[in-house]
Amino acid sequence: MMSKFLLAVGLAAVMAVTGVSSYVYLGSRQSKVVAPPQKPTAATPRAQAFMLPGTIYLAQSGALYSFSAGRFHQLTPEVGWTQPALYPDGNYLLAVKRSAFFSDVYVLTLYGGVYNQLTNNAAAPRNAWDTGANAWSFYPRLSADERTLWMSYDGPKYVGANYYDVDMAVWAVTPGAPIRSGRAWTVANSYTGGDMQPVPVPGGIIYTKYTYDENGNRTGQLWFTSRAGSPGRALTSTDASCAQAALSPDGGSIAMICTYQKQVSYLTIASWNGSSLGALRTMISNQLVAQPAWAPDGSGIAYLAPGGPAAPFQLWFLPKNAYNPPAPPPVPTPSPTPGGPHNGPLPSPTPPAAPVAPVVKPIQVTFNLGFDATSPLAWLG
Amino acid sequence: MRPGHRARASRGRLSPLTTITLVVLAVAVSAVAGGFAYFLPAAATALQETGVAVTVASPSPVATTLFSPSPSPSPSAASQGAFTVLLLGSDDDSKFSADHVLTQSMILVRVIPATKEVTMLSIPRDLYVHLSTGGSGKIDGAYSYGSAGAAIATVEQDFGVHVDDYIWVGLLGLIKVIDAIGGIDIVTSNPVMDDYYPSDVYSSDPYGFQRVAVLAGPQHLDGIHAMQYVRSRHSDLQSDYGRSKRQQQVLQAIRAKAKQLAPSDVPALATAIGGELKTSIGLDRVARLVPLAASFDNPDAIHQVLLLPPYARSGAPGGSLTPNWNLILPLVHQYFP
Repeated sequence: MMSKFLLAVGLAAVMAVTGVSSYVYLGSRQSKVVAPPQKPTAATPRAQAFMLPGTIYLAQSGALYSFSAGRFHQLTPEVGWTQPALYPDGNYLLAVKRSAFFSDVYVLTLYGGVYNQLTNNAAAPRNAWDTGANAWSFYPRLSADERTLWMSYDGPKYVGANYYDVDMAVWAVTPGAPIRSGRAWTVANSYTGGDMQPVPVPGGIIYTKYTYDENGNRTGQLWFTSRAGSPGRALTSTDASCAQAALSPDGGSIAMICTYQKQVSYLTIASWNGSSLGALRTMISNQLVAQPAWAPDGSGIAYLAPGGPAAPFQLWFLPKNAYNPPAPPPVPTPSPTPGGPHNGPLPSPTPPAAPVAPVVKPIQVTFNLGFDATSPLAWLG
Repeated sequence: MRPGHRARASRGRLSPLTTITLVVLAVAVSAVAGGFAYFLPAAATALQETGVAVTVASPSPVATTLFSPSPSPSPSAASQGAFTVLLLGSDDDSKFSADHVLTQSMILVRVIPATKEVTMLSIPRDLYVHLSTGGSGKIDGAYSYGSAGAAIATVEQDFGVHVDDYIWVGLLGLIKVIDAIGGIDIVTSNPVMDDYYPSDVYSSDPYGFQRVAVLAGPQHLDGIHAMQYVRSRHSDLQSDYGRSKRQQQVLQAIRAKAKQLAPSDVPALATAIGGELKTSIGLDRVARLVPLAASFDNPDAIHQVLLLPPYARSGAPGGSLTPNWNLILPLVHQYFP
């Protein structure tokens, strides 16, 4: 028998604990899909994560990170940094620092220190009243001899023009020289967004040109041009809607994404002979693939894709065997059974069944992060 | 112990059975109370912002002479439980007085639960029509003259359709919804660039401008960038039509993300959209529609309709579009019988 007073006190305590627990429990049952991405430095990959060779540079929430030996290092603060690219000698990084009204290209050390500013796209103070007097620079890349900076650029701008058509063209300029000494290499299609993501290749550049197809749909195409002002030629069809080209280390293949004008994006590979592409081969069709980058040692392709349905983008890796499986061992040639004369057809040994190529699946390298899928990966061997 | 004292002590104590019953009851009641407290904000928001009464004005005399009155749903459609919702998206409220905003986005959505088909018809905001409140003007002004009722009546009288319900979302509402569900995945077909994008969200000057560059390709967009993607139209040769396409893309992306949500996410979502969403759909129907929406998983059963030229052409007063009703009405009635 328990006294009523003690029971009342006990029940009050139980009710308080149960009510709070119920509230807290429901709160803890919120789905992970609404949770904001973690910082890469807070969430290193799992211990068993696949180890990628070299160092990958990528962007998240306006900061640049390096990823090496399974660990992330934050190189810059979260102040608009994106689109890292390596110097051909691997000693410096190019990157874009983006603000609300303009973006500029910088040279950074491999540890994130600002070494040099290569463009000045902010409107002059006397023109600051006109938002259209600012300019964007995106997707910087250096030529192999490091004497030409390629980038997408929407200048020069005319103050007070109130011009609504903002199209990026691929420009070439000597690093550090004023933009007026540079040249537009491409002529963008009006009201498309223009030409993006130049990739220097021997003899010219491959870039993504946005255009309207015959049905009035806006779509992307890979183009190649070998000289400034030349129209160049399309490498892919408007139907395939391909973009984000990446040249393989041996220079013989191009990785890209193709969307076929739908809300999908396939990892696609094609051979490249210096002037034209071979047949498109779809390697991944069940993920929203972005920004493929070849491993410098040729061991595979890294790319960004959501970690789950409608989720932020994670780092993934497709091993080489998935798109370039090893040749099967030679099938032995049937030979007559030894043992002298034989009537009838010669028995032939049953050839061994051809080995079934193992299905090589992509490997998810990171979890719970949220990389900028419009920012290419830079991979240092 | 004296007999009287023992009796008083006995009256102050409870039997074990009663004690256990009370404890179980207390645990159950307090657990329910905790759950009630958790879902209270969502319930309050739902009660406040759903089932909003709407008065649909009768069509204006001019319109009645030109167009047939709103038809009732056909018996076959009704038997299938089909219904039509008018989605209204409004520009920044701070430029306008309360509930007198333009509807920059108007999408008629027809849902057929039996076949799990959805048709989305984007109505160009600049379409020059007879307004239900009288006179003619751009269709985006209907809401500003007479709230949701006028917008519905205008669409019904001009397009010859029956609208069952409406959903209105403000600019901030879309941003908050997308942020509350953790962002959406989109494949942007091209860079969306705009040097004169209205700087009217989180800004002290709603008439100022900002620059926008939503780069191309697959990406995860937060609310503010998704809003820039669906709202910018200056660098689009198709102007409002191109924007309508992007709006439909984002609606589908929101739906895809919403399928991943758990019931426990509802309070945070309700808090986020509080005051930025109104609908005539009652709470009971919302509860029935949520699982229905989740079951629509065939992308081929989602039809997107845009009133591109020659359905409408430029040249009407004030930069508006002249509708070609001879083409529009058969098309509309094909999808909205």
